Amino acid sequence: MNKRKIIEKLMLGVISTLAVISAIPIFAIMFNVYAEGLKHVNLSFLIDLPPPPVGDRVGGIGPALVGTFTLVSLAMVIGGAIGFFTGLYLSEFSHTKLSQYTQMFLQIMVEFPTIIIGLFAYTILVAPIKRFNALAGGFALSIVIIPYIALNVREAYKSIPYTLKEAAFSLGVSAPVAYLRILLSTARRGVLTALLIGMAKVAGETAPLLFTILGTTFTYFGGLDQPINAIPLLIYNFALSPYERWHQVAWGAAAVLLTIILLIFIVSRLIVKEVKL
Amino acid sequence: MSWAIEVNNLNVWYGDKHILKDVTFKVPKNIIFAIMGPSGCGKSTLLRAMNRLLDLNPYARVEGQVKINGIDVYSDNIDITWVRRQFGMVFQIPNPFPHLSIYENVALGPKVNGLVKDKSELDRLVKRALEQAYLWDEVKNDLKKPASMLSGGQQQRLCIARALALKPKIILMDEPTANLDPVASSKIEELMLELKEEYTIIIVTHNPQQAARISDYVAFLYMGELIEIGETSMVFTRPKHELTEKYVVGRMG
Repeated sequence: MNKRKIIEKLMLGVISTLAVISAIPIFAIMFNVYAEGLKHVNLSFLIDLPPPPVGDRVGGIGPALVGTFTLVSLAMVIGGAIGFFTGLYLSEFSHTKLSQYTQMFLQIMVEFPTIIIGLFAYTILVAPIKRFNALAGGFALSIVIIPYIALNVREAYKSIPYTLKEAAFSLGVSAPVAYLRILLSTARRGVLTALLIGMAKVAGETAPLLFTILGTTFTYFGGLDQPINAIPLLIYNFALSPYERWHQVAWGAAAVLLTIILLIFIVSRLIVKEVKL
Repeated sequence: MSWAIEVNNLNVWYGDKHILKDVTFKVPKNIIFAIMGPSGCGKSTLLRAMNRLLDLNPYARVEGQVKINGIDVYSDNIDITWVRRQFGMVFQIPNPFPHLSIYENVALGPKVNGLVKDKSELDRLVKRALEQAYLWDEVKNDLKKPASMLSGGQQQRLCIARALALKPKIILMDEPTANLDPVASSKIEELMLELKEEYTIIIVTHNPQQAARISDYVAFLYMGELIEIGETSMVFTRPKHELTEKYVVGRMG
């Protein structure tokens, strides 16, 4: 073997090792969370109210689970819809100044510290009514999710070959029918992935909720104008508490949250079949 | 004589680039009208200017008239979707919707445009369109299968069926055989000769032999200008213009 080939093999070995190393944290985290948390998870854990700090009651994360579903639904309805149509606009009107500026701002927004988004939601939806509430949390998560979904939906629509766009419009349909009824299914993998990734992103967000939903409620659901809990916030609050019982609940909740997010990713990979173009 | 389409002083720009220059011609009904010319002469643009598919290009600007049945498709207040439904369009690359079945590819147009009342009427329309496109016998047992399983030539005939299902008056074909092998190409050409009984066909081709084989009238387009137009036999045997002569004898790409 000559020197060039040896160096090539060596370099390949180094970068392969680095690739493996970069994947270690995800497995380490999964192992850690499931080793500590899975033993606390069962059906009643998913349904019950959290336990008092001391005493025998095992308790669960029912309200936080309901809260997370409520908040993610709000974010998907508000942010998902706005993000989707923004993405469609960015893709199909990319020649306009408005589109170019919007895209630039969205790219900045992706990198925005989410705690600042939480503060913003606090000033406009919490402070005026003087109460933490679910809507403020959903609003904050919507702002977090919009740039993700918009930029990914843009990519999805951009990936549709021009000749298919021509085919759709040549059928004599209006733009909404062409984009939403015909071409959407061509881009469905990209669009659904964008929505699912956005969902996974907000399901795990904590910072935007700190100033918006309070999070220590022991009721399941009191209305969108009332405080609500969410799994990430419950983990944060319980893990910082001095009570061993709450630590266990936090680990269990972490296992549930991780499972939800992994499920979303698996669904986005498996169910959404690729459209061959 | 009533015309299928009349084009008057049509000018198209892409940004600052003048693509079509004062193009004027008329197409009689129920003939095959070929537009030939070298690559980049504006043939495809001309086709897309007729059914206003050019509107998809934000940088395109159009001046002049395109009339179907006396109605200018560029007049104010015109419904662009109506304009596009007067035409069926077949493209250079066979472009069936890859996620839809063979049946759905043909059924989609009539469905979204509300052309049929019920499923049985739709079934009949789809069958008829596939028969007209000489595809029915090959696909009648595979209607539910994805269009992507068809060969290139079959896909192109599926696209013709898709265009026919809209019950258009005029069929626009943008180099429909450019990406097909000779056997599939000749099938499409036979099909066109059959279809002109019912429709007016306007085909764009960069291949003068194809224009000579199938068209009744031919227009020669060169660098955005209409150089010559006439009955195909005349244009090919006694071209009036030197450029046309060069082109038809193959001395120009």
